[in-house]
Amino acid sequence: MAKDRLNRRAFLKAGSLALGASIFTGASAFAGGFTNKTLQAWSCGGLAEAFQPANHAFEQKTGAAIAYTGAFAGALGKSLLSGTAETEVFAPRVLELARKLRAQGKMRWFEPLCFTRYVVATPKGNPAGIEGIADLSRDDVRTALAPDASPPGGKASLIIMEKAGVVEKARKNAVQSGDCVQTAMTTLADGKADAAVIELRISRLPCFAGRLEILPIPEKYIPPAPVPFTIGMMKWAKNLDLAEAFIEYILSEKSQRFFEAAGFIHARSSEGRRLTHKYGVTDA
Amino acid sequence: MLKTFFSNWKRRIVQFISLGLIGEWSFYGIFRCPFAVPYIGCGNCPVIQCPGRSLWLWSWILIGGSVLVFGRAFCGWICPGGLVSEILSMGSFLKSKLKKRVSAGLAYGKYFVLVLALYFFFLAQNPRWAIPIRTGDFFKSVGLTVEHADPVWIYKILFVLAALGLSLAVPMFWCRFLCPTGGAIEILSRFSLFGFLKNARCSDCDQCRHRCHLETRPSEINCVQCGDCKESCKPNAIEWKSPLAPWRNPDTNFGSGQARSANKPHFL
Ligand code: SF4
Ligand code: SF4
Ligand code: SF4
Repeated sequence: MAKDRLNRRAFLKAGSLALGASIFTGASAFAGGFTNKTLQAWSCGGLAEAFQPANHAFEQKTGAAIAYTGAFAGALGKSLLSGTAETEVFAPRVLELARKLRAQGKMRWFEPLCFTRYVVATPKGNPAGIEGIADLSRDDVRTALAPDASPPGGKASLIIMEKAGVVEKARKNAVQSGDCVQTAMTTLADGKADAAVIELRISRLPCFAGRLEILPIPEKYIPPAPVPFTIGMMKWAKNLDLAEAFIEYILSEKSQRFFEAAGFIHARSSEGRRLTHKYGVTDA
Repeated sequence: MLKTFFSNWKRRIVQFISLGLIGEWSFYGIFRCPFAVPYIGCGNCPVIQCPGRSLWLWSWILIGGSVLVFGRAFCGWICPGGLVSEILSMGSFLKSKLKKRVSAGLAYGKYFVLVLALYFFFLAQNPRWAIPIRTGDFFKSVGLTVEHADPVWIYKILFVLAALGLSLAVPMFWCRFLCPTGGAIEILSRFSLFGFLKNARCSDCDQCRHRCHLETRPSEINCVQCGDCKESCKPNAIEWKSPLAPWRNPDTNFGSGQARSANKPHFL
């Protein structure tokens, strides 16, 4: 493992030199370096909107092909832990999952990748005049919930509402209470509900763009488990240089915009560094 | 066999073009759609790769329109499921073996499946029975979907595949007896403007039924307006007409040898 880390540092050093050189030459640091090479990368499905353009940009830059799968990280993690599936790079939600994979020796190392944000969403124009999460306990506020959605999606929202002391009313006033966050959000965007607690990323999906309004939720109500995402090199990585280059690209400033646009706080932003420290996202 | 298959070549061309356009969506709906009822909740579906997300609305509008004009022609000319069933049915070893009464009885199965689908979609809010693999290589994603799906999702897929596969025994098993879309279209096609009808020259010889891959006759239950049977009719009794305006079709046979309903796309 230590050797991997050393290799990695050496690579990063070489990479930065190459990057520096490329600034002068105007050429890409990796251009053509991985032509016809394929890398299998998996991530939590919630990150798909960020990974897709980032993968594409990496492919254009390096000539490599990224075989990408985005799905509920719990399911992907279960397959990896039980050994029914393999991948070369994995970006899961929930720090605990990355640590488990590390403990089993299936992940070589990981880095903090990004953080999700939970917000109160209302339909465009905020017709019920919601001012914050406390208003979800108002008798006249209809909520849209998805308590049975793949964890931590639905459950985290309930925990937040519980911590904010509004869960009982929110449940009572729910016009929808299903197993799909996107279906619940359609109800909200259509104005059939007044408010919901969701991840900011949901409001950035193309189908909801411009149809929702967002209000922040105080950090004290947010449970830590679903917030951090990591990215790690798996033991099955065949081409370590390619896997390293990919991870470094995803963690680079160039990729930040994809993650910010999809509703995440990138780990290398200043807010991301604060959250990395706060949530203790370290590969220990 | 191939000669028969391509005898109505115009229909085959249309079918293969539509296979290219919506075939992938059909596969996603069967193998990767996480919902109880595929193809209709696509507007807010998390499976990014499924073409249905961009196709579904216009597709359903066009299907609805086509039913009102051409009856069940979607099944005979467009649906990739119909084409697959037809290909499988080429090897059916129980061709023309099912008694007419049994076949007519089994045909109600599709209304039963339709009611179930409507229940799951409207009353149970189309539950998600599988983990959506948002994006990924198709076959690996299918593997992951199966691995993490609720057993009911797996039973649903097995049911559909088994029913499609049964075409190897009984021609067009899924389309004739179980497809809820076919059932819905059959009901609506009662109001269609045009279709193949039998006229007064029909002698009930059943030549058209022998030619028909769905073992039916024009405008009877399960007729998908393919027109394949037209040439098989010696008395030239099969015509393209409007079932809604029989008075404009004096030859249309409502009397001798068959019930008036025989010339309606009846389903009850
Ligand atoms: S878009 Fe989604 S809901 Fe529609 S068929 Fe495809 S997977 Fe199913
Ligand atoms: S019955 Fe169903 S599967 Fe068969 S052709 Fe019609 S819509 Fe397609
Ligand atoms: S009865 Fe004729 S038109 Fe109707 S489905 Fe059969 S072959 Fe086609």
